[in-house]
Amino acid sequence: MHEAKTIQSQNMTAQTQSFLPQNLSKIWIQLQQILGSIKLAVPLLASIIGVLIWATFYESQVGSPTVQQVVYKSPWFGALMFLLALNLSVSALSRYPWRGPRKVGFALTHFGLVVLIAGSAAVIHISTEGMLLIRTDQGANSLVRVEGELLDVVGPDQAEKQVNLFIKPDNTVSPSEVGGLKLLRYAPNTVTTTRFEPGGPVANAAVKLQLQSDRMGQTLERWLAIAPAGYSDVSVGPATLELRQANTDTELEALLAQPQPQLGGRFGSLQLGENPAIDVEGSLDKIIDLANGLQLRIDNFWPDFRLDSENRPESASDQLNNPAMQLSLRLGRGEAAQQERWFIFANGQFDPIRTSVAGAALDRDALGLSEVSYDVQPPAPEDYFRVVMGPEGERFYAANSSKGFKSGPLEAGEAVTPGWADFRISVAEAIADAQVQREVVEVPEDENLEGEPALLVAMPDGSEQWLPWGDPVALSNTSGDYYAAFSPRMLQLPFGIKLEDFIVERNEGSESVAMWTSQIRLDDPHQGVRESRRVWMNHPTWYQGWKIAQASWNPGDLNQSTLQVKLEPWWVTGLTWLGSLMVVVGTAVIFYGRSAMKNLKAVLPEPGQEESSDAEPPEMGLAARL
Amino acid sequence: MKILKFALGFILGLLILILPLSQFQPNLLEPLQSMAVQLDGRKKPLDTVALETVEKLHGSASYKQADGSKLSYLETYLAIAFNDRDWNTEPFVLLSYRPLKEAAGFDPEQKHFSFREIIGSPALTAIVKDAHAKQLAEQELSRLEREALTIEERVALLYRTVGDNSLPLVPHPSDGKGTWVTINQATELYSPEDAAPVMALQQQIEQTYRLGPAHRDIVGKLAADLKQTLASFSPAVYPSDQVLQREVFFNGFHPFGKAWMIYGLGFLVMLVSLWFKPTELYWGAMGLFCSGMAVQAYGFLLRMQIADRPPVTNMYESVIWVSFGVTAIALLFEFFSNKARYFLLAAAPLAVVCLVLADRLPVVLDPSIAPLVPVLRDNFWLSIHVPTITLGYAAFALAMGLGHVSLGHYLFAKPDQNPAVKKRIQTLSQFNYRTLQVGVLLLTTGIILGGIWAHFSWGRFWGWDPKETWALIALLCYLVPLHGRLVGWIGNFGINVASVVSFNAVLMAWYGVNFVLGTGLHSYGFGTGDSQMIVATVVAADLGFVLLTALRHVRPGLNSEASETISSEPSAAPVTAEPKSA
Repeated sequence: MHEAKTIQSQNMTAQTQSFLPQNLSKIWIQLQQILGSIKLAVPLLASIIGVLIWATFYESQVGSPTVQQVVYKSPWFGALMFLLALNLSVSALSRYPWRGPRKVGFALTHFGLVVLIAGSAAVIHISTEGMLLIRTDQGANSLVRVEGELLDVVGPDQAEKQVNLFIKPDNTVSPSEVGGLKLLRYAPNTVTTTRFEPGGPVANAAVKLQLQSDRMGQTLERWLAIAPAGYSDVSVGPATLELRQANTDTELEALLAQPQPQLGGRFGSLQLGENPAIDVEGSLDKIIDLANGLQLRIDNFWPDFRLDSENRPESASDQLNNPAMQLSLRLGRGEAAQQERWFIFANGQFDPIRTSVAGAALDRDALGLSEVSYDVQPPAPEDYFRVVMGPEGERFYAANSSKGFKSGPLEAGEAVTPGWADFRISVAEAIADAQVQREVVEVPEDENLEGEPALLVAMPDGSEQWLPWGDPVALSNTSGDYYAAFSPRMLQLPFGIKLEDFIVERNEGSESVAMWTSQIRLDDPHQGVRESRRVWMNHPTWYQGWKIAQASWNPGDLNQSTLQVKLEPWWVTGLTWLGSLMVVVGTAVIFYGRSAMKNLKAVLPEPGQEESSDAEPPEMGLAARL
Repeated sequence: MKILKFALGFILGLLILILPLSQFQPNLLEPLQSMAVQLDGRKKPLDTVALETVEKLHGSASYKQADGSKLSYLETYLAIAFNDRDWNTEPFVLLSYRPLKEAAGFDPEQKHFSFREIIGSPALTAIVKDAHAKQLAEQELSRLEREALTIEERVALLYRTVGDNSLPLVPHPSDGKGTWVTINQATELYSPEDAAPVMALQQQIEQTYRLGPAHRDIVGKLAADLKQTLASFSPAVYPSDQVLQREVFFNGFHPFGKAWMIYGLGFLVMLVSLWFKPTELYWGAMGLFCSGMAVQAYGFLLRMQIADRPPVTNMYESVIWVSFGVTAIALLFEFFSNKARYFLLAAAPLAVVCLVLADRLPVVLDPSIAPLVPVLRDNFWLSIHVPTITLGYAAFALAMGLGHVSLGHYLFAKPDQNPAVKKRIQTLSQFNYRTLQVGVLLLTTGIILGGIWAHFSWGRFWGWDPKETWALIALLCYLVPLHGRLVGWIGNFGINVASVVSFNAVLMAWYGVNFVLGTGLHSYGFGTGDSQMIVATVVAADLGFVLLTALRHVRPGLNSEASETISSEPSAAPVTAEPKSA
C-alpha cells in the first residue's frame, strides 16, 4: 500500500522537477519522502510527548515563567514544532489531488493543524500583553506592566542602552552585558542595611545601643538616629528603643517624665458626625442610640483586616495594622426599616463601604453622618528605653517596664537595667553628625525578611555594585560615571483607562464572591473617544484591537482593579479559529465521511453512473460495518 | 419480539427505582425537610443541609448507632440539631487518615471518634496549631497538617450543629439576594408581633421532637405551620414549594446511586447472554442499560435545574459524566453493531466503578452543590468545552475496557491454538479501533473548544498551561499508536496495549494535573487528594497486567506477532486506504 503511494508521488514530483539535474531531483524526492513520511511523524510525535511530559513536571518545580522561557518559547522547541508543521504539510501535499472524503479529510486535518500551530505560535510570540492597575480614586492610567524586567544604562559617553532582561532559573541574567556593564547575577531577595558614620553635613545624633542578657546568652546591637525617619524608633521583641532630641528644657522634662496610664479602649474611637465619640472596644455588640433616631451596633472588629481565600473577612494578626469594623445602622422598624451594613477602616480614611440590608439607602447628610472618622492611636509602648539628647548635647535615658519607671543621665560605657529580664543596655557608639551608609545585602528567600530583587553588576574597572529594583543608581567608575536603572518593564497604551466603579457581587447571604466587575471609562483624546464599558470574568471588551479583560482584584482595597490588556493582531485570532474548524471538520470527515456519503447515496436516487465509478474502496464506517 | 424484550429490560430497570419500598411510606417530617435555608451562597431545603452536614461529619449518608440500628441522614441531623443525646461522647466524627490517628494516639483501626476524644488529644491540638501558624506564614502544609485541619473543620461543624438555632430560616423581606436571619434574629427584619409566633413554633417543634418518635406527626404539623408562616413573610423571596420539593426528591431519589445497580444488573444479564441462548437475553440487557441511562440523564437534568448551571463543573460531576459517557457511547455502538455485546460488557464495570466512587466517597468527591467561582461562571464555551472533553475521556475509558477484554483473551484463551479466539480478538480490536476514533474526535474538539474559552477568559488560545498540555499529551499518546499502526509497526495487539497504556495519560490530564502537579490555572475546587496512593497502586497493577500479557504474547516467537500484523492489515484498511492506485 505504501509502495503505491510512493510511486505516485515520485511520478508527480519527477514531472514538476524535471528541469533539475538528475541527482538533485533524486535527493529532492527522497527528502520529500522522508519529510512527509509517517515514519518521521511517529518518532517526532513521541519525542514531543516526551518533551511535554518532562516540561510539565519541570514546571511544577521551577514555575511557569521559567518553563515558558526555557522550553515553550525556546528556539529548539520552535524548531520541533516547525518540523512537525513541515511533516504535516508535506504529507498532506503528497496526497494531492485530494479526491474523495478520506483524502479531503486528511488534507483538511493536516493543513488545519499547520494553521493551528502557526496561529498558536503567533499568539504566544507576536502578541503584546500586560497588566494595568487602575483605581477609582485616580485618573485614567495608560501605563501597562509587562512581564519581565528592564535595564537602562547611560554610560560615560552619554549613550543610552535599554534592554529586556530574562532571569534564568539559576539567577544568571540574559544578556550578560549591557552598555559596558557586566550583569553578574540576579538576587530575588535583598534588603538594604544601614550603618551610620560621622562626617554628615548637619547635626544628627546617632547612637549604637548594646543590649546584653547573660541569662539568654544574647547580645544585640541596634543603631538609632534622629534622621532618617524610621531610625528613631526600633523595636526589639516586646520593647521599643527610642532616640529623641530635646531642643528646650521643657521638652527634655516631658520626654523624661513617667508615662500616664492610657484611657479608653485599645481599638480606638469612632466619630459619626456630631454624635459623641464611641469607644470601639467597649461598644462591641451593644446597641447604641444615635441622634435622629438611628441605632448603631458594632457587629465585628478586625485588628488586622484582610479577606481569606474565600473572601470572608478575617484578622491576619492581633496587631493593629489595619483596624476595621463592621457595623449595622438602622432607622425605623418593621417593613419600613432602613438598615445598612458599613465597613469602616482606620487606615487610608476612605469612605465607609456601604451595603443596604433592608429598605431604602440612608440619607447620610440628613442623618448627620456625612463626617465619619475612625482613629486608632497606636498604643504607647509599655516597655521602652528612650535615649534623649538634651539641648546642650548631654545624654539622658528614660526606661519603662513592668517593673517600673526610671530615668537619669546616660554616660558612655555605663549600663542601665531597664527591667526586661536581665537585659543591660549601654551606649557602644555615639555620633553627633551622623550620616547614613546603605548597603544591599542578599538574604535567603525562605526567611521571613521581605526584600526586593536586585541586580549585581560589574563595571569596566572590575568593581561590583548592586542595582536595587526600581531605584536609579549612579555608579562611579575610573573611566567615568554610569547611571543605571533596573526596573519593571512598562508599556504605554495609546489610550487611557479609568476605573469608574468596582462592583463586587457576593453569593447571597455569604461573603464569598460571585463576580467582580470593573466599570471602566476609555479615554482616547486622539480619537475624541470617551466611553464607559463593563468588564468582568469571561467578558472582556475590545478597543482598537486591544482586548481588555478583568484579571485580578485586591480584596483589601475595593477601589482598585487589575486588568489584562492585550494586543493580538486580527489575523492571529483568525488563524487559530480557522485551524480549529479545519481540524475538527477534517477529523470527522476522515473517520465518518465515507460512510456518511454512502448512506447519503443510498437515500438519494442515483443521478448517474459516473459518480460511482469514482467510488472509494469500501469504508468500514460506524454504521456500515459493525 | 426484540422490542418486547427490550421493553421488559427497561421496565425491570425502572422497577429497581422503587426499591426500597419504605420510601413510599407517608413521610411525617416532609414539611421540615422542605423548609428553605439560605446557606453557603444559595437557598436550599433543610434536607440538603442535613445530607451535606452528615456526609461531611460522618463520611456517609447514614449513621449506624451503637445498638446497630441505622439512622438516615435526616434523622441523624435532627438528632444532632435537637441535641437528643450526649453528642460529646458519640463516636461520630470521621477520621480516616491513618498517620493522623497514630500521631494522635488513637486506635488506627477505628474510623469514627467522639468530639471529646478529638478535642482531648493534645497531640492533635498541637498539629492543628502548627498548621494554623504555617497558614499565617503562607507556608506549604504537610499532608498530616491538611488532614488535621479537615478534622478541625468537622469538629467545629459538629459543635455548631449541636442544638443548632443558627440556621438562616427567615427570608429577607424584599431582596431576592438579601441576607436571611435566624429565627431568634427575626425581629431585625420583622416586627416583634410577626416574629413572636415563629419563635414559639420553633420552640414547640424542638420540645415535641424530644418527646420521641411517637410524636413525629405533631412535629410535622408544627413544621408545616412554621414553613407556611415563614413563606408568608416574603412570598416573592421564599422559594416555591415546587423548587424545594424537587431538591428533596433529588436527595431521596438518589439517581446516581441507583444507576450503578441497574448497570450492574445489565452487565450480569449481558454476561449470561454470552453463554445461554444468546438472543433471548441480549435485548433485555439493552433495555436495562437504557433504563439506567434514563435514570442518570434524569439525575443530571434535576441537578442542572437545582444548581442552575451546566452539568460538569467539578471533579464529582465529571466522574459521573464520564460514567454516563462510557455507557452512552457503548450503547450507540451496540445499536449500530450486530449484537456485539463487548461494548457494554467493557463499559458496565467502568460505569459502575465511577458511580460507586462518586457515591461512596463524599469526602473525596464532594457532591454538594455550591456556587461557582467567578472564572467558571457565565460562559457558553466553558459549558460545552468541559462536557466534550470529558466525553472524550469516556470514549478512551471504553477503549481501555475493550483493550482489557482483548488482552484477557491473549493472556488466558490461547489465540495461537484456537482460531475462534483469534477471530474474536480480531473483532474486539476492530471495536477498540472504532472507539478510539470517537475518542480522538471528541478530545480534539474538546481541546480546541478549551482554546476558544481560554481565548476569551485568559486572552490566549494556547499557553502551555499544564492542564492544556496534558490534554494534548493524552491526544498524542493515542495518535502515535494509531499512526504507528498505519506503517505496520504495531498490529492488533499493539493497539490493544496502547488503548490500555495511553489511558494513563488521560488519567493524568483528568486527575493527575490537579493532584500530582498541583499547578496551573485550572486548579480550582478539586479538593484535597486522599487517593493518590490508591490510584498509583491501581495503575501499577494494571501496567503489570499489560506487561505479563506482552511477555506471554511475545514469547512464542516473533513470527506470531508478524503473522498477526499481516493478517490484520486488511482490517486496518480504512486507515491505510490509499486509492488502490488505479
